[in-house]
Amino acid sequence: MKLTNYDIIIRPIITEKTMNQMALRQYTFLVHPDANKSMIKRAVEEIFGVKVESVKTMNYQGKRKRVGLSFGKKPDYKKAIVKLTEDSKAIEFFEGFGA
Amino acid sequence: MNTKVERLENNVVKIEVTVPADKFKEALKKSYEKNASRFNVPGFRKGKAPMAIVERYYGEGVFYEDAINFIVEETYPKVVEENDIHPVDYPELDIIQIGKNVDFIYTAKVIVKPEVKLGQYKGLEATKISYMVTDEDVEAELNMLKEKNARIIVKEDGTIEKGDIAVIDFEGFIDGKPFEGGKAENYELVIGSLTFIPGFEDQLVGAKKGDTVDVNVTFPEDYHVESLKGKPALFKVTIKEIKTKEYPVVDDEFAKDVSEFETLEELKADIRKKLQEANEKRAKMELEDQLVGKVVNASEVDIPEVMINQEIDYMIKDMDYRLRYQGLNINQYLEMMGITMEDLRRDFKEVATNRVKTSLVLEAIAKAEGITATEEEIEKRAEEIAKRYGVKDIERMKKAIIESQRALIAEEIVNNKVIDLIVNESKIIIG
Repeated sequence: MKLTNYDIIIRPIITEKTMNQMALRQYTFLVHPDANKSMIKRAVEEIFGVKVESVKTMNYQGKRKRVGLSFGKKPDYKKAIVKLTEDSKAIEFFEGFGA
Repeated sequence: MNTKVERLENNVVKIEVTVPADKFKEALKKSYEKNASRFNVPGFRKGKAPMAIVERYYGEGVFYEDAINFIVEETYPKVVEENDIHPVDYPELDIIQIGKNVDFIYTAKVIVKPEVKLGQYKGLEATKISYMVTDEDVEAELNMLKEKNARIIVKEDGTIEKGDIAVIDFEGFIDGKPFEGGKAENYELVIGSLTFIPGFEDQLVGAKKGDTVDVNVTFPEDYHVESLKGKPALFKVTIKEIKTKEYPVVDDEFAKDVSEFETLEELKADIRKKLQEANEKRAKMELEDQLVGKVVNASEVDIPEVMINQEIDYMIKDMDYRLRYQGLNINQYLEMMGITMEDLRRDFKEVATNRVKTSLVLEAIAKAEGITATEEEIEKRAEEIAKRYGVKDIERMKKAIIESQRALIAEEIVNNKVIDLIVNESKIIIG
């Protein structure tokens, strides 16, 4: 199945750290684990109408959780830090995008 | 900032204030800064979440309350001053419009000092009563001094006379049987003080130390113990000791001892002078009260209920304060008198109303006549008060007093001036 732009970019990750990185034109997103850098780059450019300079991604193992005797596992996830080019406009979250 | 002031009836003023949107945004920001540490947003340490995030997470309304407070605190006193409104109570606030990007509009309804319809306050008539100091007054004063300087000595022999203190044991019998409350030991009875039922003390006159005297008395009809009313009784009284007061001889020597004067004549003259001054003061006070009362009666004021209630509150507080000197408090007092707080408030109401009215009338006259307190007068008065505290650094005390009680002092000065004006403009008949 082909991933749409909105399947790739799940939500922005907003923490103190990512807020500080925004000043450096780096925006952090939770992305689909199967998406690769070029897919993420295209998705961000299309959704926000910006120009992307580079994308760094990282995969995370979901945490193991225990409820009583049974073990479970939170889903794995992928994080992407997207750096915009200097002449690109900034991304404004909070406008139709869930925080 | 835009304001609309509307005067409603019953001394209520409605103020509508429009605060521009950016001003309100500023207040929101201040509100955020004040409360930032309270908000807990995932991904952020406490107090580190940016305003936009907090707003997103908690809703825009979180900052409103404090923002409103900031705005009102800033604008309300200004509006009140600019429009010459004199509120007597806290305002009742209503928010008309609020939002992030719109002007903030609120209304405040507040009760203000009522308008005073002044009655006649010039050319009134009043009688000034002059009180004369008589020789008897001076004599009475001297006697009091004498009493104060008397010494109590024990009479070893001799008999009880009027004015002596007898230390007695007694037991009372009715129809040969002792009754409750009729017995005591080592009681110090001042003969002639009428502490006991009539006749009791008289019958002890002439007795000696160690004597046992039978005292036959009849309880009066209006005695406070029901079962004893009108009953004849026999008291067996043992005299254990007789004490007498030794009065100093009133002469020049005495004058020297009790005062800084050399002779009795000088002391008397001084007493006379002091009494004269006291009388003069009393006459002046009475005259002022009379005139002010007349002016107040002739004036019309629609006094708001809150002002009266405030005055009553103040009176009750004052009363409580005074009771505390006697080791009581207001609740104990109420219990003792068998009345409730509501009763007390009702009792105070008339006096409170009168006080409020008087102060309003005096204020109105001051305004009509353009009477104000000057800076020098305030300083002078503050200095007087400062001196009374008996501290070394009068200059500092004075500054502290001016700072904390400036309005109060100014009011006092103005009131005194107004009263002087009323008195000076009146026809005074010396009575």
